[in-house]
Amino acid sequence: MPEMSVEEIEELLLAEVANILLADPDTVTVDAPLHSLGMNSMAFVELLVVIERVFRLKLMETDLTKEDFQTVRSLASCISRMT
Amino acid sequence: MARLPSSKNKHHLTGIDWILHGFDFMTKRATGAGNMFQIVMELEGLPAENEVRDWLDVCTRKFPLLGGRTRRDFNLAPYWQMPSRPPQVSFDVHRLQAGDETLPLLERGVNTPFRSEREHLALQLIHAGESSHAAVKFDHRLFDAHGAEMFLSMLQRDWEEGGRCNWEPPPCEPAHLSEWRDKFEAGKQVNRTFLRLAESGPPRALPLGPRSISQGFAFRKITFTEQQSQEIIERAESEAGYLMAMPYTMALTIQALHAIFVNRGIMTGNYVIPVTMDTRVPGSRPHAVFFNHVSLLLFRIHDREVGDFHALLKSIKQQMYEQARMGLARDLLEASLLIRIAPLPMVSYLVKLYLKRDIASFCFSFLGDTGHMPTRFMGREVSRSYHMARVPVPPGLGVFFHQTHGRLSVHLSYLRGVLAEGEVETITQALHSGLGG
Repeated sequence: MPEMSVEEIEELLLAEVANILLADPDTVTVDAPLHSLGMNSMAFVELLVVIERVFRLKLMETDLTKEDFQTVRSLASCISRMT
Repeated sequence: MARLPSSKNKHHLTGIDWILHGFDFMTKRATGAGNMFQIVMELEGLPAENEVRDWLDVCTRKFPLLGGRTRRDFNLAPYWQMPSRPPQVSFDVHRLQAGDETLPLLERGVNTPFRSEREHLALQLIHAGESSHAAVKFDHRLFDAHGAEMFLSMLQRDWEEGGRCNWEPPPCEPAHLSEWRDKFEAGKQVNRTFLRLAESGPPRALPLGPRSISQGFAFRKITFTEQQSQEIIERAESEAGYLMAMPYTMALTIQALHAIFVNRGIMTGNYVIPVTMDTRVPGSRPHAVFFNHVSLLLFRIHDREVGDFHALLKSIKQQMYEQARMGLARDLLEASLLIRIAPLPMVSYLVKLYLKRDIASFCFSFLGDTGHMPTRFMGREVSRSYHMARVPVPPGLGVFFHQTHGRLSVHLSYLRGVLAEGEVETITQALHSGLGG
């Protein structure tokens, strides 16, 4: 598992969100709620699969709340705490 | 010297398009009408009939695909043949009298077959007092649900610009006749998934009913206000997790339908539920209006999982996760390209063969708010819109959630004879109370 700072995790997540949504990376910001970017259940699960692959964290099985999940910033800080 | 036929300028069908053609074939054989769906827009006011007729005539000529039909290329890949004459689009107007209901007209509209193999779109305008309903019927071989919404937005833009819009035709889809190794590898994965689904016998399914019964589809609609819809989504997020409205509503649907199976004494087999997922993403090809840009997830639910809502939810989420990890939806897109060689009767036979008779217990989908639906149509404000989909037969039964402009609606769609009137009531009540409406 790579050792990464919160900022590095955010960078990685931003790239992955843009990739999953085929969005212009400039339009994806760390504080934008993922649903406002057009992310749906399946796209979100794809993001969780990427997180498992990179960080070995199965977030689907945790009790994380909406506040933990809904932006790249909150998700990155959550991943940082758990790794 | 005679010129060899060229495939370069043809819109070839993808494997998913071909599977949708297979569903259309099956549904026509069972009911006399194909795999169609209708988007209904409730309008404030009455669009002028003559204006609509004239505009429709001019506007649809800009979309020659609307008059196409399926052909086999010299390399055997199926493609959409462009017509030599302008597309046909049916336009009917009805005026409701006091006491008349809209639903029977909408049901009749969606159950009426297209007039020919070259017709794929129809518009029905229903005047009801000071308001009206515009029901646009789509051929699923040419449009999927989101594509249809995007198409309605294009029509509205054309209306607003006085019919002066010019639309670029979509780029031609290639024949996809290369990289066979990838297709066969994907086929292996899909094959394993289907075999696992069918290992304990055919899916649990309701009988289709006697053929003497009118074979049209009937519908039941549940609608929610913006406030109620918001509360439902919040409840889904609190019980199932952020962005997990799809598994949450699916779990409620399984529980609602399970009661019917139990009451009928149908206790063998697992529930097998195909769920359509859109393969478009925001910012992706804006021309992805025509044809099918979807794939499937397949869920298998055991009897013992149904009673405990949280166990059921966990199972759905787990299966969703596993399928995302395996890339099943992507494999299905790739593998289905192989099936295009099969004629449609064989496609429908193969689909049934995999699951040993019935292809699914019922169909389900959750269409989130994509913002594609126009807020005005033919110069009138859209106060509400919803989809009415005929379901492939078998199973001839489906539950569809649709969220547009913040409002959620649910449609139960069933082939007449599959459910009794009391069962429809039971399911509707269970969904309504489960959703907290």
